[in-house]
Amino acid sequence: MQETLSCYHCRSDLENQSSLQICLDGVIYFFCCSGCLAIAKIIHDQGLEKYYERQIPAEVKPPLAESNDLIINSLRAYDDPILLRRFTQEISEGILETVLTLEKIRCAACVWLCENYLKKIKGVHDVQINYVTLRANIRYDSKLVSLAELLFAIQKIGYYAVPYEASENIQKSQYQRRILLFRLGVAILGMMQVMMYLWPIYSSSSDLELESIRFLHWTSWLLTLPVILYSAQPFFSSAWDSLKAYRLNRSIGMDVPIALALGISFIFGTINLLLGEGETYFDSITMFVAFLLGARYIELIARQSAQSGSEALVNQLPVICDRFLNYPTIKKIESIPVLRCSVGDVLHIAPGQIIPVDGILLESQTSINEALLTGEAKPVLKKIGDYLYAGTYNINQTIAVFVKEVGQNTRLAGIAKLLDIGLASKPPLVGLSEKWAARFIQLLLIAAIGSYVIWLWIDSQRALMVMVGVLIASCPCALSIAIPTAIASAQGALAKVGLLIMKGHTLETLSQIDVMMMDKTGTLTIGKPAVQEIKIYRNEFTVKKVLSIIAGMGQGQKHPIIQELIKYSSMKKVTPTPFEQVTENIQGSGLTNHGWMLGSAKFLGIEAPFDNSSKENHLYGSVYFGDVKGVIAKITLLDQPRPGVNDFLNFLRSKGIQLIIISGDNTTTVQSWADYFGIENFYGSCSPEEKLQILKQFQDMNKTVCAIGDGVNDAPLLAMANVSIAIGEGAPLAIAGSDAVLLSGSFITLLNTFKLAHKTRVIVQQNLIWAFTYNLIAVPVAMLGLINPWIAGAGMAISSLLVTLNSWRLRKVVD
Amino acid sequence: MTSLYLLIPISFVFIVALLFLLYWSIHAGQFDDLTGPAESILLDDDLSNKN
Repeated sequence: MQETLSCYHCRSDLENQSSLQICLDGVIYFFCCSGCLAIAKIIHDQGLEKYYERQIPAEVKPPLAESNDLIINSLRAYDDPILLRRFTQEISEGILETVLTLEKIRCAACVWLCENYLKKIKGVHDVQINYVTLRANIRYDSKLVSLAELLFAIQKIGYYAVPYEASENIQKSQYQRRILLFRLGVAILGMMQVMMYLWPIYSSSSDLELESIRFLHWTSWLLTLPVILYSAQPFFSSAWDSLKAYRLNRSIGMDVPIALALGISFIFGTINLLLGEGETYFDSITMFVAFLLGARYIELIARQSAQSGSEALVNQLPVICDRFLNYPTIKKIESIPVLRCSVGDVLHIAPGQIIPVDGILLESQTSINEALLTGEAKPVLKKIGDYLYAGTYNINQTIAVFVKEVGQNTRLAGIAKLLDIGLASKPPLVGLSEKWAARFIQLLLIAAIGSYVIWLWIDSQRALMVMVGVLIASCPCALSIAIPTAIASAQGALAKVGLLIMKGHTLETLSQIDVMMMDKTGTLTIGKPAVQEIKIYRNEFTVKKVLSIIAGMGQGQKHPIIQELIKYSSMKKVTPTPFEQVTENIQGSGLTNHGWMLGSAKFLGIEAPFDNSSKENHLYGSVYFGDVKGVIAKITLLDQPRPGVNDFLNFLRSKGIQLIIISGDNTTTVQSWADYFGIENFYGSCSPEEKLQILKQFQDMNKTVCAIGDGVNDAPLLAMANVSIAIGEGAPLAIAGSDAVLLSGSFITLLNTFKLAHKTRVIVQQNLIWAFTYNLIAVPVAMLGLINPWIAGAGMAISSLLVTLNSWRLRKVVD
Repeated sequence: MTSLYLLIPISFVFIVALLFLLYWSIHAGQFDDLTGPAESILLDDDLSNKN
């Protein structure tokens, strides 16, 4: 085997014959690092080496294996009774059940490895991993193994697990899902069987004796009964609720016409059956219920996959933190649950950790990434005595923080409350469908009663039959499915390309917006630096060499610029230069090792920008690289726009929608990006409260506003906007308040969403026009008493089918 | 057409059985994860017994 060697575990290329090798089961394997080696050894020891035949290689090195005791100590806090009660449930004496969310899973083999590795731990009784949600359900004996040990075990094989809060909610939503699925199952079974029983009547009724026909009708009635009483029950109860609330909001929900249609057709079907003449409608009823429930089920799953606000807030913060035992005299630290933290404590926060409380910086100047809270992309330098906020992210120094506010009093929780206020003050949306349905029902009832009264004069014997005829002929089926079927197929199509719609009105509102408000950092732009240009000033160096030294120096550093440089150099296939000493990080302004220096111009001791290339104001920043003799290179880094933003903006412009950038970042940066995108209206340095105010100004002008954002600071805006889309990689809190989530991260998906929203509107209109035209013809005919129930039934079915087929045209996203 | 009076009651028995099966399988969590079992059948547990 003389091809390029690769690491046995992570499959990354090995430059030369690696010194790291180990003999496992008689074969010698090579490794890139001790981390990979340790994991492979564990996997082989447990007899799980089949994993290597099946895995999709990570090609990313596992984090440097820390000392085993260290990890277990920081995880110990999970065994604190407060957290145990929160994350586990006692099944029986000493047997606990917990749910863990797994991270870094890449393929089915990874799930298999975790499942089997956990099963081999002593004390673990049962492990079930859901491949879709990546949640592991573990049942274990608390006398033999602890939660912390389980979490540690998963870390040992290169994955990461966090306990999932097994709240009542999960069980409730699971129950909801199962019940609805069963209702759907009953309806589908009923539908198929009723069709089957009625088939002989449709196909060869002339050959059947009257007796047999009645028998077949009765059996289909028997099967329709559970569909009406059980499967369709949600429609009836929600229709009833909507009628009760009519006096308050003057609108009738979509379920009212559905319930009315079902109720009327079933009752008259039954009457006809008893009389032994006329249509029975049972096949239409069961089919109608089955299709509607199918759409409801899809919607329920989408809605449940989004989190509630309070859950999101919990996920925004870490669960455990390190507290100094007695600062500053004793610098020993202990891991405690964040819940146990109180005002006056001093916390120890390592680089790369999220700050769990609001507090004051006591030790070590550091850079903090506040992007989620303020929208500012660049890390902010914090000096001793500065205020730090919960939810922000410590970048380069280990710090000590004096706790000022915890839990509900933090700025983060304040924004979460603002989100609730935003949601509550969201303009009420009376959807097109509700408006039309309400009007239609009123007209229908007037027509039915009117014809009854008139027929009393003409022929009192036939009055009741005519009224029934009107109600049935005008059966609002086509009307009531005109909108839901169109929206359901469009939503399904969008889910496939990466936009998850959580609230039913989204598509409808999207097609009507006047104003589009967009956040900058993390939304229009990715919010991460990308290497734009490397300028070399000294001939003896090449770009490759510079990158190699920088990548070597930067190992283990958390600053986003350094991480980008390392990523960039590995993309260019540059091997990092090994360094003997650990790189020194000087007060968050630069790195130095072995005489090399990397940092700001000031850090290198040179005068401001080396050569000032004009406009670059949406610069993420530039860093300089040099040695004792002076500058060697200047590296320019830029934030990048998301893919497809320009096409998306052009489309909105062509629709005459006003574009606005609204950002928490400083105004000059926002302005330069606004120029870049050609957007005239922008607001910079906005706090979440100010964003809400600006939004309100537009809403007061009667504009329909769509908001797109990603950060915690956008969450209230997203909640209050008429319709909103959150970026999937963004803060859980932002997602909680929004109507849809962009999972694909690409604006091309958004562009398609808007196109599809407009197409949906057109198709809904066609459907409605058809349903109305049909009724416009059928109702007067029925009012004249001319309608034959058989024709009424067939017309109804064809009309519904036409509407459904028309809606089907939306099941593919236009490109 | 007398066969109808025998066959249809039989079909009813089947439907009731199916409904019962469906109820059981939904509440036993058979429909909670539709991709996992499909994958795990390929990754069976015939762990090498170190020959």
